[in-house]
Amino acid sequence: MTDLDLTPQDPRHPAASGLRSWRNWLIVFLLLAVAGVVLYQALTSARVYFLNVDEAVERRGELGDDTFNLQGTVTAEPRTEADGTMIFTVSFGGVDATVRHIGDEPSGLFRQGERVVAKGRWSDAASAEGDTPFVSDQVLVKHSEEYVEDNPDRVDYELDGNEIEIGAGIPDTVGAAASTPSLVT
Amino acid sequence: MTATSSKVTRVIGYSALAFTALALLFGLVISGPEVNMRDSVRLLYVHVPSILTAYLCFGITLVGSVIYLRNRSTFWDLVAGSAAEVGTLYLAFALITGAVWGKPTWGTYWEWDPRLTSTAVMFIMYLGYLALRRMELPHEVRSRRAAVLGVVNIINVIVVHYSVQWWRGLHQGRTFGLDPQIRDMQYFSWFLGTVALGLIAAWLIIHRFRVGWLERQLDEIHLEEALVERRGEGV
Amino acid sequence: MYWNFVAVGYVAVYGGVVAYALWLLARGRRLSSQVPEERRRFLD
Repeated sequence: MTDLDLTPQDPRHPAASGLRSWRNWLIVFLLLAVAGVVLYQALTSARVYFLNVDEAVERRGELGDDTFNLQGTVTAEPRTEADGTMIFTVSFGGVDATVRHIGDEPSGLFRQGERVVAKGRWSDAASAEGDTPFVSDQVLVKHSEEYVEDNPDRVDYELDGNEIEIGAGIPDTVGAAASTPSLVT
Repeated sequence: MTATSSKVTRVIGYSALAFTALALLFGLVISGPEVNMRDSVRLLYVHVPSILTAYLCFGITLVGSVIYLRNRSTFWDLVAGSAAEVGTLYLAFALITGAVWGKPTWGTYWEWDPRLTSTAVMFIMYLGYLALRRMELPHEVRSRRAAVLGVVNIINVIVVHYSVQWWRGLHQGRTFGLDPQIRDMQYFSWFLGTVALGLIAAWLIIHRFRVGWLERQLDEIHLEEALVERRGEGV
Repeated sequence: MYWNFVAVGYVAVYGGVVAYALWLLARGRRLSSQVPEERRRFLD
């Protein structure tokens, strides 16, 4: 009992000040450093590598086989080949690109008229159709900030006086037919 | 009756329970699914209130930290620390609900998108703030350093909030602003969720403050006892 | 549709709140039994 020091340390003057506080600050510094590196990496790559279809087509040469995010609206009914490859066209700013997607199936919201973000790169090999597509291994559906309640009693999906483009697609390609299936799911 | 309860916290607590019941009723039963997202839209009635309440908590931390740096009061130091702890908890809620919303909607739980990344950074930095508050340092030193970090960390709120405008990414822009892009029952469900989670946060912050206060008192009691003991030994 | 995701989110949030609240109440009760009445004034 006697050699056990049970006296509480004076919290105003802790015994271990030098080494412990140095170590404490190292932890804080490391946390900050990790946060800073993550922020820098993510923000720079997001800015450089998040391209709309028109930009990606224009900068095709300099992009080479770099991986980037391609944003556009699905403009034609997607089709799936026998080997599971999904083929669809995305459009942005009046420019189209063909996407060959090999990987996990996109979410249930994926369909014609939806804005999507495909991760991948330009292919250097021409497809059977003769074009060189964008080869993607991940397709994410980008939801707009507009939410519309599925209300069977109301036919006008109207918000702020504007007709809602279901799925925030580009107007000329969003037909009622494209969105109907989801309404009854 | 519990030790850290009072009339104020009981009023807040029962209001929070009532609003939580309403929020669950409207959010899960009365409001309808969304045309595209279906029922996963219901996650937004907790996701958005969680992040908004977290912002508010970090705002309280900022105010408490600034006042502490001016007058060194234990009260404001504990207010800042309590709000930061509750805010970090709500930030975790926002990250979790965002992930389980993202899977059915986007097709992924996580993406290194500017909004998501900056929110993760904010989470790490407020964890750092809470770690700093638990360091074995003299009270004044720890509180002062925490207050400085409590002020600096507010930059995160600004970056996270504007991330969807400054950088391109997967996350959608603002829905719940002055010009909300959601209406009727869904808007009301979101409103109820905000009130419920806001009241809960107020209750939690007050109780956390009182626990912090008791911890501080206990520290001082131990210190006094130790001094008395040492004086006794000296005789 | 997607109710399983909704359930996970709601349980995480409201369950998390309840767990944290119970921890706070328990800790408050334990600490206040060790602190004399005159030192339990919270708002000064």
